[in-house]
Amino acid sequence: MTLQIELAGIQKYYGGYHALRGIDIAIPKGQFVALVGPSGCGKSTLLRTIAGLETITSGAIRIKGEDITRQPPRLRDIAMVFQSYALYPHMTVEKNLTYSLRLKGVSRAEARRKAEEIAAITGLGQLLDRYPRELSGGQRQRVAMGRAIIRNPKAFLFDEPLSNLDAALRVHMRAEVRKLHNSLGATSVYVTHDQIEAMTMADHVVVMRAGVIEQQGAPLDLYDRPVNRFVAGFIGSPAMNFIDGIVTETGNSVRLALPGDPTLSFAGHRPAGESVTVGLRPEHLNVVADTATGNTMRLPVSLVEQTGSMTYVVTETEPMLTVAANMSRAILTAKSLDVQIDPANVYLFDRKSEEALRSVG
Amino acid sequence: MLRFNRVFRDGGGFDGALVLLALAYLVAFSAFPLIYNLVISFQSVDLFTIATFDRPFVGLENYRDIVNDPLFWPVVRNTILFVGLSVVFQLGIGLALALFFRLDFPGSTWLRGLFLAGWIMPGLVVGAIWGWLLAGDFGVVNWLIQSLGLTQQKIFWLSDPSISIYSVIIANIWLGVPFNMILLSVGLAAIPADVYEAAELDGASRLQRFFTITLPMMRAQLGAVISLGIIFTLQQFDLFAALTQGGPSNASNVLQYWSWELAFREYRIGHGSVVSVFMIIVVIFVATAYVRSTRHEHVV
Amino acid sequence: MLSSTPWKRWLLLAIAVLLVAIYLFPLYWMYVTALKTNTETFANPPTLWPHHAELKVARVWNDMGMGSFIQNSLVIACGTVAIVVLFGTGCAYGLARVRSVWMDVALFMVLMLQVLPPSLLITPIFVAFSQLGLLSWPRTGTILATAANKLPLYIVLVRAAFTQVPRELEEAALVDGNSRIGAFLSISVPLARNGILVSAILIFLQALGEYVYSRSLITDRAYQPATVGLQFFVGPNASDWTGIMTFAAIYVTPILIIFVLAQRRIVSGLTSGALK
Repeated sequence: MTLQIELAGIQKYYGGYHALRGIDIAIPKGQFVALVGPSGCGKSTLLRTIAGLETITSGAIRIKGEDITRQPPRLRDIAMVFQSYALYPHMTVEKNLTYSLRLKGVSRAEARRKAEEIAAITGLGQLLDRYPRELSGGQRQRVAMGRAIIRNPKAFLFDEPLSNLDAALRVHMRAEVRKLHNSLGATSVYVTHDQIEAMTMADHVVVMRAGVIEQQGAPLDLYDRPVNRFVAGFIGSPAMNFIDGIVTETGNSVRLALPGDPTLSFAGHRPAGESVTVGLRPEHLNVVADTATGNTMRLPVSLVEQTGSMTYVVTETEPMLTVAANMSRAILTAKSLDVQIDPANVYLFDRKSEEALRSVG
Repeated sequence: MLRFNRVFRDGGGFDGALVLLALAYLVAFSAFPLIYNLVISFQSVDLFTIATFDRPFVGLENYRDIVNDPLFWPVVRNTILFVGLSVVFQLGIGLALALFFRLDFPGSTWLRGLFLAGWIMPGLVVGAIWGWLLAGDFGVVNWLIQSLGLTQQKIFWLSDPSISIYSVIIANIWLGVPFNMILLSVGLAAIPADVYEAAELDGASRLQRFFTITLPMMRAQLGAVISLGIIFTLQQFDLFAALTQGGPSNASNVLQYWSWELAFREYRIGHGSVVSVFMIIVVIFVATAYVRSTRHEHVV
Repeated sequence: MLSSTPWKRWLLLAIAVLLVAIYLFPLYWMYVTALKTNTETFANPPTLWPHHAELKVARVWNDMGMGSFIQNSLVIACGTVAIVVLFGTGCAYGLARVRSVWMDVALFMVLMLQVLPPSLLITPIFVAFSQLGLLSWPRTGTILATAANKLPLYIVLVRAAFTQVPRELEEAALVDGNSRIGAFLSISVPLARNGILVSAILIFLQALGEYVYSRSLITDRAYQPATVGLQFFVGPNASDWTGIMTFAAIYVTPILIIFVLAQRRIVSGLTSGALK
């Protein structure tokens, strides 16, 4: 398998600030890669280094095996969709779409033909002679996409392209972008701060923090087997609950720092007396009728949030826990809640290093 | 060629080259004269030595001559008077007009813009017009104040030594008011309306709102406008050329005009340069304050 | 912003018109005097409206030799604008785009040079030009000096216009396959076009009114601009006020027309540059 994009040991300093600290990513042809992390983690900077908009301090960027580290953007044959779309406001949709073709010296008729073809694919048919200011947000987004597609580039870069759309359109465009990627057989790198976007769209998710890759892999691998507490908390919505705990003498259960010191058994074995952080996903806390079934806790209720399909219960404990329950009228008025946890679904992290000690599956 | 491409076609060298080109021009025709002026101020320069390169250095002699010149202190006094009164009145009238034109009435923005017609006029033309308005025998200003009963005698605005400086100050205030007003309007517009609404709900009267909200929030703006006002007033030359030419007998002379007169009327070029050096020091001092105040604002 | 009753708004409008009228009275007086006969000009009490209006444009134009003055003014103004736009546009762009210590130093230098009074620089410029023999081409010398004087203001104003152009647009052009120069010319300059145009107009108007450099560097009357020409006729002993005001009116009317047409843009361009 040939690699379409290869990032090797990328380091980037802004003056004294170390923005990227040794980034290695290998992207095969046809893969959809999401770079995800909190703001300021370096994901956008990394994307811009691939585009050539930022120079790197050391390391190498290869596209189809060719080292392009020192090449200017115009020689890299990479297309990019910007967060603000960056449509040229003084050009019509057609001129926006064909700007790159005209730079390459493609004839006017040929450019027009290509623009019409792309407009048909992206649903911009009637809009070729409009100016960007005359378009809606969603239409602008499509022009930005079309401008990238028309070039048939070696790779597509996306810098949070959906963050300016309203929620419904965002979900719709998510699917559309992914569909387009599949039909073009493209290679894409997609930056987002929204982990749901990353999980739903990507084949390969890269979680970054403070210029470092915390973990990369298939979406479900990251969900099931986060390497540390940061990734565990970042992937999954609502976020994982974290509770301090001490492993009991038996080595297969943990005493939680919650009122009543409940113990929870987990699958596997850890040394007795170990200080751990226990991770429980809200969706793994099953609401049960009573505490008789084993591996259960009784939790006082503080707040109930309804979304319609799901109900999120926030407990009156320190720390607060979130429980994802199926819709049920009884929960709305409950003073306390009994939850049961499958020992296989208990995550354990070293309290100091925050490294994962036990994951799911 | 590859290297050229990398630096200038695709790299940061492009911006650098563009900036350096303009800076080179500015250095040649603005910064160099600045330095050269300093050099000349230590030399003896007259009509005969002006085109040669080796002129005798005379140390501080020019400086001694100027400071001991009987005109020096009167001219300094006039300059301070000119700058002080101009800036105070430009700012006061400008602020009053800015506050007035912020009120809600039809055409306020457009009418406000008309004031800049005064500012865009060549200083020399403004001088000529005010020379006619203030003319002793047939000037409309004299007719106006006489018919209002303010004075019996005609005032000889331009030829009375005790008054002529004020004529130039009046014309300069007229010229400077629009610029002050527009800049202050921008500052006023930048104060969010909800701050006023909050203060009103808190029970502040109109006057209290002016002193507790408008003025404090305009502080940076006022600093910049005052500095700019001083700078523009120190640059004012054309009005003197058109109105009084420093006269009568130097009664309305100021440093910037005196410097030019020494160099171009009396051909005492070294002496003119000394006066320039004094002025440039003042201007640079004020300009630093201005640049710092705007920089500060920029960061916030 | 501060809402008031309709009645009050019309009162305010009346006051505003009155204020503008008082402020612009000198301009009115210039035009009125220009239209009066010589006798009426010196009438006492003065007439606020010309009773025997006569247009003396042709006489003043010929008698005062305005043709050559205006032509020289235009040559100097056009030359100044050409140099300023050529050198200033790129510099403004660089200063708007790059953030570094060196650019801060350059910007500081530009701001400092913006405030230097021309009447103080003219002495060393005159000496240097006479040493270089530039005084043989007095208009060229005046253009070079005036351009240096106006360049900083233009850079400051146009820089503000370039900072309004989102950086991403240019980056998109780079990714689309353009070079820095290409992106500058095909994206940034067209989008900052208004700011560039307004600033150039402003510099043109200011250069039309330039006095001290022309007065000092140009001794041959055939090359002197209108400001210097006007200065001949005014001064403490001026008497031909109808002629002077006609001269002034002919000279500034085009300036005022350009100003009124571009008023809104000049005002906004000026304010964005001066305080940012």
